[in-house]
Amino acid sequence: MSNDSIFKTFLVAFLLCVVCSVLVCLAAIVRIDKEAYNKQLEIRKTVLAAGGYQQLIDDGGNIDELFTANVELKLVDLATGEYTTAVDVATYDQKEAASKPESSVKIPADLDLASIGSRAKYAAIYVDKKGATILPIRGAGMWGPMYGYIAIAADGTTVNGFTFYQHAETPGLGAEVDNPNWKKQWTGKQVFKSSGALALKVVKKGKYKADAADAVNTVDGIAGSTVTGDKVHGIIRYWFGEHGFAPFLAKLKAERG
Amino acid sequence: MAKAKDALLDPLFNNNPIALQILGICSALAVTNKMSTALTMTVAVILVTACSNAAISAIRNHIPNSIRIIVQMTIIATLVIIIDQMLKAYLYEMSKALSVYVGLIITNCIVMGRAEAYAMKNPVGLSLLDGIGNGLGYGAVLLAVGFVRELFGSGKLFGFTILNTVNDGGWYVTNGLMLLAPSAFFLIGFIIWGLRTWKPELQE
Repeated sequence: MSNDSIFKTFLVAFLLCVVCSVLVCLAAIVRIDKEAYNKQLEIRKTVLAAGGYQQLIDDGGNIDELFTANVELKLVDLATGEYTTAVDVATYDQKEAASKPESSVKIPADLDLASIGSRAKYAAIYVDKKGATILPIRGAGMWGPMYGYIAIAADGTTVNGFTFYQHAETPGLGAEVDNPNWKKQWTGKQVFKSSGALALKVVKKGKYKADAADAVNTVDGIAGSTVTGDKVHGIIRYWFGEHGFAPFLAKLKAERG
Repeated sequence: MAKAKDALLDPLFNNNPIALQILGICSALAVTNKMSTALTMTVAVILVTACSNAAISAIRNHIPNSIRIIVQMTIIATLVIIIDQMLKAYLYEMSKALSVYVGLIITNCIVMGRAEAYAMKNPVGLSLLDGIGNGLGYGAVLLAVGFVRELFGSGKLFGFTILNTVNDGGWYVTNGLMLLAPSAFFLIGFIIWGLRTWKPELQE
């Protein structure tokens, strides 16, 4: 049979499609199984790292065990600052909720410091045994969205830790947000002033003065990545503002006296 | 034997796909700011060029001329998807670092070029070696560029600190240019210059 006959052309094309699609399907089945677990593991790792459990991870602790032993998932209604059980927290997907009009809130342009357009009505947060809360934050970075967690101690204002788990910043420049030395300086910072006003800020590298009155509210930026620093600053200002976690943290503080 | 050796080793220096044929530049710019991503990409490309060359060569006498490019593309795309999925499953961190560039191996001219220029005309064994050789030639340039970029851009190699950077409290001021894609252009230019000075017969 000639290779160029119409029948042979169709036959080769058909067989090729069958073989290739079977192979691709098999690969996808393996991947789907593993990927959900990988994603969950990564988020758990971030939550634990932000919550101040990095040492236990470095010591070779099992992430899943540490996670279930130390933190509990809860849902907060951001508008009221109250815990809510309106939806099942175990199956709640905050990213998905933020993208749907019925489960999200549009952010007024003048308040949208993190450039995200809209946010989910409810935030899935983690509470650890010591009463600290680990809050999800997100916003636009320089090249793409940034997702992370920031842990606030039981007093509702002291930062316990801060970590991004997804971002697309420039490697070596903006991606230094992953540098442990940079993340370390967040620990102990105060989000709010004693008056309750939002004070935490990220400044341009070198503008930070350790002896300034507001040093406890100031995080030094990263050399060579002013834009990323500004974006992180915007994310912090939005999520700790009145539209973000401020009502929740204020309640937390009031309850604990 | 000599032919097999040529098929494997020629693409390393004498007919390097990046330095001589200037193919596959896009990914060479994008994934070389770290050694680890450059190495993973190298392995992925070697696997794809080797398997696609072998598969296409195996059925070369049955490929109708009118649809041969589509047949080649389908085989290449299948291999790339499988590798991409396996990376996502077993090397999740790495697959995030490489992002879209694994998928873009499909459009890497080296793979397609070798399929059309070599695998369509040569037996399976030689085609396999030619695929591995071209993957190695591509990888050699990638790793050389990655070495310089990571060392001078981040002061590290494979993530291990070699030069203690100022950001970590050391002395080395990192070269920001090395972390941006254009620096790979300059480095590849230097490699081409060096290669053609060493082997004047490569000059056009």
